[in-house]
Amino acid sequence: MIATNLRNGVRTGITFAVIIIFLILIGFTITGAALVAKIFGIQVAQSALPDVSMLAVFIGLIGFFAGTSAAKPRDSDLFLGALISGLAAGLACGLISALFAYILSTLYAGGVDMRNYLSSVSPDSVKFLVFNLDPLSGSLILFGILTASGLLGGFIARIYRSEGRRAIFARINQGWGIVLGQSTIKSIRASRWVRYLLLGLVLLVLAILPAQWGTYWNYVMGTVGIYVILGLGLNIIVGLAGQLVLGYVAFFAIGAYTVALLNAPQPHNLMWGFWIALFLAVVLSALAGILVGLPILSLRGDYLAIVTLGLGEIMRILLKSDAATPLFGGPAGIQNIAGPVIFGKSFSTDVDFMYLIIIGVLLAIFVTQRVQNSRTGRAWVSIREDETVSKATGVDTFRSKLLALALGAAFAGMGGALFAVRNQFTGPEDHVLMVSINVLALVIVGGMGSIPGVILGSFVLKGLPEILREVENYRMLVFGALLVVMMIIRPEGIWPARRPHLEKQGGQELEKPPEEVATDPVKEDLA
Amino acid sequence: MKTLLETHQVSKFFGGLTAVNKVDLVVPEQAIASIIGPNGAGKTTLFNCISGFYKPEKGTILFKGKSINGLATNQIADRGISRTYQNIRLFPSMTAIENIMVGQTPHLMTNWLEAVFNTPRFRDEEKTSIEEGIRLLKYVSLTGLGDNLALNLPYGAQRRLEIARALANKPSLLLLDEPTAGMNPQETEVMTRFIRRLRDELGITIILIEHDMRVVMGISDQITVLDYGIKIAEGNPSQIQSNPRVIEAYLGPGAAALSEKYQRQRHTTDA
Repeated sequence: MIATNLRNGVRTGITFAVIIIFLILIGFTITGAALVAKIFGIQVAQSALPDVSMLAVFIGLIGFFAGTSAAKPRDSDLFLGALISGLAAGLACGLISALFAYILSTLYAGGVDMRNYLSSVSPDSVKFLVFNLDPLSGSLILFGILTASGLLGGFIARIYRSEGRRAIFARINQGWGIVLGQSTIKSIRASRWVRYLLLGLVLLVLAILPAQWGTYWNYVMGTVGIYVILGLGLNIIVGLAGQLVLGYVAFFAIGAYTVALLNAPQPHNLMWGFWIALFLAVVLSALAGILVGLPILSLRGDYLAIVTLGLGEIMRILLKSDAATPLFGGPAGIQNIAGPVIFGKSFSTDVDFMYLIIIGVLLAIFVTQRVQNSRTGRAWVSIREDETVSKATGVDTFRSKLLALALGAAFAGMGGALFAVRNQFTGPEDHVLMVSINVLALVIVGGMGSIPGVILGSFVLKGLPEILREVENYRMLVFGALLVVMMIIRPEGIWPARRPHLEKQGGQELEKPPEEVATDPVKEDLA
Repeated sequence: MKTLLETHQVSKFFGGLTAVNKVDLVVPEQAIASIIGPNGAGKTTLFNCISGFYKPEKGTILFKGKSINGLATNQIADRGISRTYQNIRLFPSMTAIENIMVGQTPHLMTNWLEAVFNTPRFRDEEKTSIEEGIRLLKYVSLTGLGDNLALNLPYGAQRRLEIARALANKPSLLLLDEPTAGMNPQETEVMTRFIRRLRDELGITIILIEHDMRVVMGISDQITVLDYGIKIAEGNPSQIQSNPRVIEAYLGPGAAALSEKYQRQRHTTDA
């Protein structure tokens, strides 16, 4: 029992130590402390370092999380168990981090400049790391803080267990119930008006925000939005229907190039207008999905992944090839893509495009939501779960998969069209394998088959790196580390999909209970 | 009585191995027919041929007088044949009621566009689909468990859910592959009665593979015995029990003679 707790604690502690070392290596300790300072409302001058106490709080927070996650109520039914887990996590984390800090600062004191190898590890940041003290005492303080906060984390986690949490919520509900009456609460929660109200609020925020943000934020959020659309599309193929398609970028490219070729002065000067091009982009991508799907969808698992991997690369190389330059514009790409015009007003600013992207995202969410809660969606999931059995239960698996691919490809086409028109440029290098991998990663990190998961995943994987410009050089490193940590701590994703409660819903909708079966011998027998 | 399913000289080979060898099987409507035989006799292979998992190399399979040879499994499901599996194969991460609703597929007409526009036809179908699901849950005594994921249900409940999913297709022929495997005597008893009920109340013809002889002898109208892919006996329970070839297939050569001797001995002592 205690051994399990210890093991859990040490394991979690090591994970968190790795996170701390990682943060040190990217020089994030100073930024983290500055963030804490900002939260406390303390102004830190641009070039000056924040106070060391802020670093203590920052490190303490990490230790606290290590403690709480180590003392998850899995094995720690005993109060002591939770404390041991927390303490072990804190100790392990503290020991490793302190040792690392000690070595690093001793090296610096000895005159070795690590910046030759790790550009973010400045002397300042190392000195700051050991609280501007000498290596030994600084490391000891680091160790002390992590151990104490780990213990505290374990302690808090034990008090604030899931039952405790439920009790707190129940009490809050009770409080409201006294004010409004218990049944009112239920009807309010069940009422669709509340849902409409929330939806309205979200829409209002979405309508107001883009105009308030600056160009930079609109750009970042626009990218996130496009990736939400892409993610929702791939989510249908991978998350719902369970078909591992790695060449998703091909459909993105078709969308982008359709808009680009029809609406740019070079190389064809067709200028058909954005809306027709958008429509064609979606239709052509869907058609491409069907054409590609016909020969390959009878493949399963790994084979499908490899074949589609090739597909994405073929598309990029085709667009880049010299032979096709007169047709597709070649390696230089296509510039000056004309923006959309609506009621004589042409889209020019980032705010305009942001609205366009928001509409696209809402449309994608709407379609996904409707389809996934229908027989089509259920058929997809059944294919994901067991394709052979799904087919034997009557699902036309081939057509279902084809539909999933076509719909997913259509979303990608829309995303590509928006991407090209917003950037007013597209080229072969916009459509590299990395796009496919990014989209797949955000679906998996967010939670397969879950719409809020995909949205969160896009924010985490596309939004965070843009925000964390400071770690520019280490962006891919962060990306990889995040994936690894994520898959270890929470393999089902940030916001995993939940199946709808149809029996309950059906039971509520029925005015009278379903017609009685005369007798129920099985139940009688069991009783 | 009218014939529902008829296999004629059906053979299935795996490389050099003959898994099913020229099997003739005639199942009348509303019968409960059992297929028995030692391990590896080709029982499940025959099932897989009927439900379309395998295409038999030789022979024809007639269902309701029409050939179903070479049809895909989903087309066979459309024609009204449902099945369960030897080791339970539900859709584990879907809820129980969703499992049943997937089983209704051959009877669902709306397409995805109707779902997007939420047409009245779609809403109606969805509503009936859920109601039907709730009714079937009740029929297999899973009321209240419908919103649990299939993988979280206890073993017996999973077996019943698998049958409910098969029933959702409103089949005229139900193939049950070892429905009482892994059950204790009481549960087996309940399952046996349940199978009989399916035939009596819903008029479904049932073919089952079963190792538990008490179940087989208790509910079968007709029994077919396979050994090394060959049909060695056919008849009602009492005929099969006294058939020397069946005894030898199960207990080895010479067993029939021993059994006869034992029977005679008992006869004389009784007298």
